[in-house]
Amino acid sequence: MPHDHSHPHNKPLSDVELRVKALESVLTEKKLIDPEAIDLIVETYETKIGPRNGARVVAKAWTDPAYKARLLSDATAAISELGFSGVQGEDMVVVENTEAVHNIVVCTLCSCYPWPTLGLPPVWYKAAPYRAKVVKDPRGVLEEFGVSLPDETEIRIWDSNAELRYLVLPKRPDGTDDMSEAQLAEIVTRDAMIGTDVLAAH
Amino acid sequence: MPTLTPDIVPGLIATGASARLDEDVAAKFSVGDAVEMKNINPVTHTRLPRYVRGKKGVVERDHGVFAFPDTGAHGLGHKAQHVYSVKFSFRELWGEDHAENMYLYIDMFDDYMKPAL
Amino acid sequence: MNSIHDLGGMDGLGPINPAKDEPCFKDDWERRMFGLFVSCFAGGHYNVDEFRHAIERMDPAHYLETSYYEHWLASLETLLTEKGVVTREELVARKKHIAMEDA
Repeated sequence: MPHDHSHPHNKPLSDVELRVKALESVLTEKKLIDPEAIDLIVETYETKIGPRNGARVVAKAWTDPAYKARLLSDATAAISELGFSGVQGEDMVVVENTEAVHNIVVCTLCSCYPWPTLGLPPVWYKAAPYRAKVVKDPRGVLEEFGVSLPDETEIRIWDSNAELRYLVLPKRPDGTDDMSEAQLAEIVTRDAMIGTDVLAAH
Repeated sequence: MPTLTPDIVPGLIATGASARLDEDVAAKFSVGDAVEMKNINPVTHTRLPRYVRGKKGVVERDHGVFAFPDTGAHGLGHKAQHVYSVKFSFRELWGEDHAENMYLYIDMFDDYMKPAL
Repeated sequence: MNSIHDLGGMDGLGPINPAKDEPCFKDDWERRMFGLFVSCFAGGHYNVDEFRHAIERMDPAHYLETSYYEHWLASLETLLTEKGVVTREELVARKKHIAMEDA
């Protein structure tokens, strides 16, 4: 089978590896799944869906005020204008970071995350320390990411516990007035679109 | 449902499966309402986390009608209802020693809330 | 349910340790697990609420010690056996067989 990568034979398969292989093998035998569909799903998320998509949304919002207005009023439709839609982005909300307000997104109960614009979540986003801490000590969390905000900045945490998915529109950094939309997209980080990063001036 | 084959994958990923329901259900709350989260402790599935139970907030936005996870997880149907973005101050959630310019927004179903007195 | 998954506001869980760069999947089993989740969901074997609830029913110590894709594996094993799509015996036997072939 094309997906069955060989592994070095000095190390036996772990318990988890064996359980996943057993599950896939039994389900394939029952014709309830198609391993080639799994190959394609994995390839799609490894090569086509990731934070570069969200960065394009952000760059367009920074350079096109009418688009930004649509993005903040009907995020799902505005994001799909750029071709990003679907699984775990069916109902989107975009929140804007400004001089006065800083937004941060979390899912305290599991790992909800806007897949079409950010891809699959990083390990830290899904792990217990971030989920537990950011709703109670967001400034402490930002410190762990090397970010410090003035005391006057209002902080808003968005716990995506239902089926709405949140994307932060980061504040456009100073010194980027001459940059094109494509150049701007290059400087937008994944963490800035979660809210755990602030983009540095250029 | 049919087995997922490669030809279906691109359309499935691009479309997804929204939990939004096209049902005409009256909203129990309006934007600006003061609300209190119910103190419930079901041993079944719920998306009402402990840290907001019994806390008071304000309805900021009505997201529309969605399927209710508390019933959906147990084969008890959609129980279509409105979901709202509700705003809480950190002082309400965590105490008076927290800064006053910090807020939590969380999406709450009609069944999780009652009017705040 | 008031289980370990309901983490908001808990203290003492350690540093966040964000990785500078990390791949989409760390390991091949994570790739297969992700695809299995999407495939079985599309096949109508569970809804997302059932899927999350099965994770919530994990042993709490195990929940904290394992990665998210292992939570997904536990959830799929639980749901697919509860619903009679596969049996525990089938999975255990197949696992033994694969381990033998691997040795």
